[in-house]
Amino acid sequence: MRFGRLAWLLMLPLAAVLGLFLVSLGALVWSSFAGADGVPKLDLYARFFARRDYVDVLVRTLWVAGLTTLVSLAIGYPVAWAVARHKGRRDWLLVLIILPWLVSVVVRTYGWIVILGNRGLLNAFLGWLGVVDTPLKLMFNTTGIVIGLVHVFCPFMILAILAVFLHLERSLEEASMSLGAGPWQTFRKVIWPLSLPGVISGTMIVYLMATGAIVTPLLLGGLRDRMLGTQIYQEMFQVFDFPRAATMAVILTATALAVVLPLGMLERRVSRNLKGAS
Amino acid sequence: MPWTAAGRTLVAAVLLFLPAPIVIVVMSSFTARGYISFPPGELSLRWYAEFLASPDWLMSLVVSLVLAALAAAFSTLIAFLGALVFTRKRFPGAAGFETLVLLPLIFPHAALGVVMLGMAGMFGWTGRFPGLLLAHVIMTVPYAWRPIVSSLRKLDLSTEEAAMSLGARPLYVFRRVTLPLLRPGLVTALLFTFIISFDEVTVSLFLVGPDVTTLPVRIFAHIQDSGSPVIAAISTVLVALTVLVVLLLDRLIGLELFVESEQRRRPA
Repeated sequence: MRFGRLAWLLMLPLAAVLGLFLVSLGALVWSSFAGADGVPKLDLYARFFARRDYVDVLVRTLWVAGLTTLVSLAIGYPVAWAVARHKGRRDWLLVLIILPWLVSVVVRTYGWIVILGNRGLLNAFLGWLGVVDTPLKLMFNTTGIVIGLVHVFCPFMILAILAVFLHLERSLEEASMSLGAGPWQTFRKVIWPLSLPGVISGTMIVYLMATGAIVTPLLLGGLRDRMLGTQIYQEMFQVFDFPRAATMAVILTATALAVVLPLGMLERRVSRNLKGAS
Repeated sequence: MPWTAAGRTLVAAVLLFLPAPIVIVVMSSFTARGYISFPPGELSLRWYAEFLASPDWLMSLVVSLVLAALAAAFSTLIAFLGALVFTRKRFPGAAGFETLVLLPLIFPHAALGVVMLGMAGMFGWTGRFPGLLLAHVIMTVPYAWRPIVSSLRKLDLSTEEAAMSLGARPLYVFRRVTLPLLRPGLVTALLFTFIISFDEVTVSLFLVGPDVTTLPVRIFAHIQDSGSPVIAAISTVLVALTVLVVLLLDRLIGLELFVESEQRRRPA
């Protein structure tokens, strides 16, 4: 169908919404630099980094997000492989991954409270077995946060890697094996390099989501083991300090992008090399 | 790949681990006890009765449903109109434009929440429905954009030309040829954005107010200050609605779509 000049009008709603988003972003960044007399200053950032507890929260955020990503990769990779190489219909396996992924984070985290709480399912079970006398502390600490975050975000990892595996011909492994490579060598030299684009994009998504989580860290980590997301939420709704929350939001975004953007470039390069080689 | 018994056990464990908390919430919602427990013990529907008797909870359910329906409709429509031009016109900065459309995806949600709160404030929509809707539209547009753009790219323009050369008018061609061919992309966009909006909680936390609260946010608030099993009953309703939409997607499009769209979900 031909489009005349008027066709550009069709783009207007989308452009308007995007423009609005950009303006709000700009306003946020601006307010994080706002000084008392309207002159841009680094005051708010200086005050953030001068506070020991805030720096601790930042470090904990990076550490928890990194750990969540690693665990998600370690358990997600074999699952993606198993689903891709499953003989027969994959539908049921996909349902087991996709349904939990789409159920609201609140509901899933609530399930973890029922499981991990002091009088929760797991502790009741361990006590019944006689393994522990006093309940294990599985919640209101970093352990709880990481378990919850891995559960919430590892489907992203599985699906990202699966997307690559589904395009991998079974004959590749067979060729490698028939040329005398053992299973381990086949994995290291053939499968792992080919799966890298999926691994990198899964890593990007999980890391990004984990740094910005609020609900899971707040419910499973409690008020003591805070992350940047929960800290922002508290500054906003308990202290009502918008500029400080804005500053933290900028710091949060910067630390996330510092990891995600280089990974994105790496991923593009890896994909290009793979395409060039084939 | 070394494939051992240990590997198989791990995979089986993960595939149990993923649905486990949801199954436990659903099962414990049928307890007759006054506190949340698993196994639930004696069964009853009292917590569902309590949910249905509470105007606050029902109101949140309605807010969530209306919000998700409107956000899905708006973001699909906006993305569709934009993508129509984007895929058929050449213009400088097209790649940059697409990056911009997908931009909300590369923000951590806690930061996105602050941005959206500032935006709602500009219009005086803090804690009000329009603010929530606008934020949800911005957040879901990328998810509508991808399936629509990919179905537009797959569209063979010669079918339109054939219809035209047979004398069909442009609008007729659009209605009878183009739209039906784009239906899978549009259905995917609508249902996917609906689910995302319906289950969204982190950004909504910043935008709800005393009069307007979505169901996930109300659940979140209640978990923090009570252990009542009514939360499990309401969570079960939320799960049921999500399952319904996923089944619909499976029927209409097939679940592999999530794997495919995942491959295209590359932030910037």
